[in-house]
Amino acid sequence: MNPYLLPRFETQYDINDQEFSISGIVRPQSIDELAPSIALLKDSIDRVRGILYVNIRRLTQMNNTAFHAFSRVIIDACRARPDLKFVVITSSVVGWTTRKFGRLSGIEPNITVEEYDSEFYPGQTFLEEGGFIPILRTQTKLTWRHERTILPRHGMQPGIVMADICCGIGDFAVLVQREFEPSRIVALDHARTSLAYARNVAAEFDIKGIEYTYGDASEMLLEDDQFDLVTCRHSLQVFNNPELILKELFRICKPGGRVYITNEKNSHCLGEPRADSIQWTYNEVAKLWAHFQMDIELGPKSRRYLIEAGFEDIRVESFMVTNHDGDPQDFADVIAAWENVYAGEMATKRGDPPAFIRRFRQGFQDHIFAALHPKGYAGWPIWVASGRKPL
Amino acid sequence: MNIASQSVGGEAVFKPMIQIDLEVKAFLSAWLHCDQISTYSARMISHNRSDSVRHSNLFSSAFNELLEVAFRARHSSGEIACRVSRRGETDRIELTFPCMPEERQFYEEAILQIAGSEARERYLNSVSGDLAPSREVVLLELAIDYNATFRLDEAGADTITLVVDLPLEGLPN
Ligand SMILES: C[S@@+](CC[C@H](N)C(=O)[O-])C[C@H]1O[C@@H](n2cnc3c(N)ncnc32)[C@H](O)[C@@H]1O
Repeated sequence: MNPYLLPRFETQYDINDQEFSISGIVRPQSIDELAPSIALLKDSIDRVRGILYVNIRRLTQMNNTAFHAFSRVIIDACRARPDLKFVVITSSVVGWTTRKFGRLSGIEPNITVEEYDSEFYPGQTFLEEGGFIPILRTQTKLTWRHERTILPRHGMQPGIVMADICCGIGDFAVLVQREFEPSRIVALDHARTSLAYARNVAAEFDIKGIEYTYGDASEMLLEDDQFDLVTCRHSLQVFNNPELILKELFRICKPGGRVYITNEKNSHCLGEPRADSIQWTYNEVAKLWAHFQMDIELGPKSRRYLIEAGFEDIRVESFMVTNHDGDPQDFADVIAAWENVYAGEMATKRGDPPAFIRRFRQGFQDHIFAALHPKGYAGWPIWVASGRKPL
Repeated sequence: MNIASQSVGGEAVFKPMIQIDLEVKAFLSAWLHCDQISTYSARMISHNRSDSVRHSNLFSSAFNELLEVAFRARHSSGEIACRVSRRGETDRIELTFPCMPEERQFYEEAILQIAGSEARERYLNSVSGDLAPSREVVLLELAIDYNATFRLDEAGADTITLVVDLPLEGLPN
């Protein structure tokens, strides 16, 4: 079927949220093509009281013809009904929307424009900006030793077009580029600091072919059916709604291509000696994440998530990062960084009492002890899963 | 020779990125050509920008408006050429299309207006006004929202080239 014959935009009114939304690509030749949408907007205006939210977060393109048509209805409504306010919600990802729609508030003070951003997500701020960067580095160094042999079983091969969603500081993309030479890598994240870091690394080491892009994994500007392999590592577990992200990963994957995810089950971190203290602490880590609506226990649930998202030929495997993967100090550094964030910022934010925090910290310390002990063993298990998008 | 390092009189020149030439008739046969040409070109030239996806979205937005202006002029014959070139952070779109003398005058005046001090106000008035956006308003919007700058080049008898520079890399987010 010719995709250009399908309507490429959608408008909706949600009566409960008093929200009118426009999504997709709106480039009509004449406003007649918009008649049903304009009628819906007018009708929505007639029904609301107080505030009408105009959600354009998923609007990727709109020509001036359409912009004028929608704006006029809103401006007219402001003039006819001074009791009514309009809040236009844009996305920080679509560069032009805030600027263009922002002008409306200069015309009518009852129109305000708000940019939706990551602040709206619970929990994640601990992991997003700045502080986590050094841990991600070491973590990727440790996991790569395993993943480089695992990846080919999940669709990785030279020449493919791939995307790494929630790429963080981009180390994984760089390692993949070197080892597997895909023809193109798009690496997306929502943390500008991490992306800046990644771009710097790429420039410094003269790495070509990785496109770092700012975006929101739950609504990406990337087009449908584009990638042979879509990876999303250690990240489904940071969202309160991983289904939404998987839906997007599915959407951008080519039919016949694969989506590859890795996740943890932190309560299964282990070590000897001092196994009990270690286990206690990691059970608490799981609860702490849950408190912030994130699921650090997601690993073994990957299979279910992939099935429910519509994938087929699902492959799941797991591996254990240990203190014997290279330098035990690397392992110990990762644990120290976890302690820092989990028993520091996160526990404090939850309001944990000092006695709890002391015991909580002890488990991490014991894990480090096990890692550095000459006869010790320390492990961090990871679940890898991938599924094929049906043809 | 490496085109990127070409220079004329010591000034770095724009390096060609992509060119699409069409019969006006073929171009006018479907409105969607504006969208298709702008989207395709945007994707092709954006991969090595600092944020390829964002750049592509912005470029497509701006280019599409220019193509729509050319489309609405509805010339019945001749050729339309779209060239995209680059110098550093600036991408240049050159649209060459058939143009009668009075139309040329329109573009000359529009470009003067854009450079004028009331550009922003004119644009805002048009948004709240009754009329569908005119060609002039479309160009104004590109200047205001994308920091586009415009120039008109002679391209032969009854054709003009509209040269639009888009400094998208430098646009604040
Ligand atoms: C635990 S880190 C994993 C990073 C990387 N994949 C790795 O393995 O090192 C989670 C990443 O998800 C990113 N992230 C969080 N919310 C996001 C969103 N809505 N869209 C895109 N990325 C997001 C964060 O910025 C962070 O880089």
